[in-house]
Amino acid sequence: MANRPLTFLTFLSLLPLICLSFSLENPTDRRILVLLDDLAIKSSHSIFFKSLQTRGFELDFKLADDPKITLQRYGQYLYDGLVLFSPTIERFEGSLNLAAVLDFVDSGRDLILSADVNSSDLIRNIAADCGVDFDEDPSAMVIDHISYALSDTEGDHTLVASDGFIQSDVMLGSSKIEAPVLFKGIGHSLNPANSLVMKVLGASPSAYSANPNSKLSNPPTLIGSAISLVSVVQARNNARIMIAGSLDMFGNRLLKSGVQKAGSSNKYGKSGNEQFVTELSKWVFHERGHLKAVNVKHHKTGETNEPAMYRINDDLEYSVEVYEWSGKSWEPYVANDVQVQFYMMSPYVLKTLSTDQKGLYYTSFKVPDVYGVFQFKIEYQRLGYTSLSLAKQIPVRPFRHNEYERFITTAYPYYGASFSTMAGFFIFSIIYLYNK
Amino acid sequence: MGKSATTKDAQALFHSLRSAYAATPTNLKIIDLYVMFAVVTALIQVVYMAIVGSFPFNSFLSGVLSCVGTAVLAVCLRIQVNKENKEFKDLPPERAFADFVLCNLVLHLVIMNFLG
Repeated sequence: MANRPLTFLTFLSLLPLICLSFSLENPTDRRILVLLDDLAIKSSHSIFFKSLQTRGFELDFKLADDPKITLQRYGQYLYDGLVLFSPTIERFEGSLNLAAVLDFVDSGRDLILSADVNSSDLIRNIAADCGVDFDEDPSAMVIDHISYALSDTEGDHTLVASDGFIQSDVMLGSSKIEAPVLFKGIGHSLNPANSLVMKVLGASPSAYSANPNSKLSNPPTLIGSAISLVSVVQARNNARIMIAGSLDMFGNRLLKSGVQKAGSSNKYGKSGNEQFVTELSKWVFHERGHLKAVNVKHHKTGETNEPAMYRINDDLEYSVEVYEWSGKSWEPYVANDVQVQFYMMSPYVLKTLSTDQKGLYYTSFKVPDVYGVFQFKIEYQRLGYTSLSLAKQIPVRPFRHNEYERFITTAYPYYGASFSTMAGFFIFSIIYLYNK
Repeated sequence: MGKSATTKDAQALFHSLRSAYAATPTNLKIIDLYVMFAVVTALIQVVYMAIVGSFPFNSFLSGVLSCVGTAVLAVCLRIQVNKENKEFKDLPPERAFADFVLCNLVLHLVIMNFLG
């Protein structure tokens, strides 16, 4: 009997823990499912997993052919992120399959996918549905006879040292990655018409993709800087996908090893792999580069309330607050290129918003001389940041009949002529009547 | 030869017109003066509109029509009052003038409304 209030209190205190996934207020992912080909990967990639766990992620390791894997239960997703380190899995057992992985991404959740040499069709199809095309020959590797890493063990130039990074502080962190990244695996290409995929780490112009064990019968199709080693996709619902062609790039061996490019005398004690995969995983799991826009306000100059309708040639002021997630809290986002459109089928007014450096963006302009139903539109897409797409509808009415100018200046001669005709008529009738 | 004959004929025509006109009664001359004034005012407005553009078109129409309308009414008065017109021999000139005044009143009422 005395236990009842105690159990009730413990239940109440556990309630906050139920909100364990990412939310609008806290966009960083929390629970991540890691699928592995075999559990040896867990120890051979322990540095990478440890860096994720120290940042607060809950990793759930499972074998990729475990039949008990489910991503959803009762319609709710159990995980916020998925890491597929299982390049050779032919088919997932259980409820996971290609469609389930794509639905996972479509719901706004993030994915890190790593293929490797001889990866299965399933992994290649997942990548193809995300916009990334791996080399058709599954046993092809990226070979570079000029930009390879000097190594004591391997002599076939498949261990490539690459520093073709994308120029983005949001994705790769503010500190420059000095050492090249070591990569050993399969390369992929991106469709240039696809505006959502970006090449984060590209191969050097002397690289090509071919099977190292067989003679080349015709020139390779994938060559030079068209080869992408690591790409990211930011979907329109802001889900982020990272696709890499080498599982070893994440592994402890390459993370800890030094690197020296062939033909160059720079010897780096530590490769750029650890910094590269850590910073990019921060971006993929929404610890960086996530924007939100709140508090859209508009009003006539001089008033504070938001009217339901504007009149043509009114002066109005518009303001919005944009914040960026820093991993722990919302910081003001500072930029000078956020623009608002006053849009009806085409933008009648396009203005760059000024900022007070604390996240408030504001501007003022005159409503155009056209009436109709307009929208305040903000369409903001920048490399590495989530896209902002706001629209607020507002009607604009023409003048009421008593809002026009009472007397038009250009018409004064006509007013004068009418009155002078009346006066003339009056004078004429007097003269005519009293003329003897 | 033709030129001096034409100018002489023009001058002779002009002189005969002037002397004929001098013979018209005074009240008709007053009406003629009023018509001239109204037409000149209308012309000034048309020239102004040609320069500035027809922006408040209703005001332009109103101004021009007040002048043209009152000129037309004055011409009607002149016809009815002229003793040389056989058609209006029995029409009392007071009646003609009363018609003129009433029509002008209606005209100016409409003009004031349309002026905007």
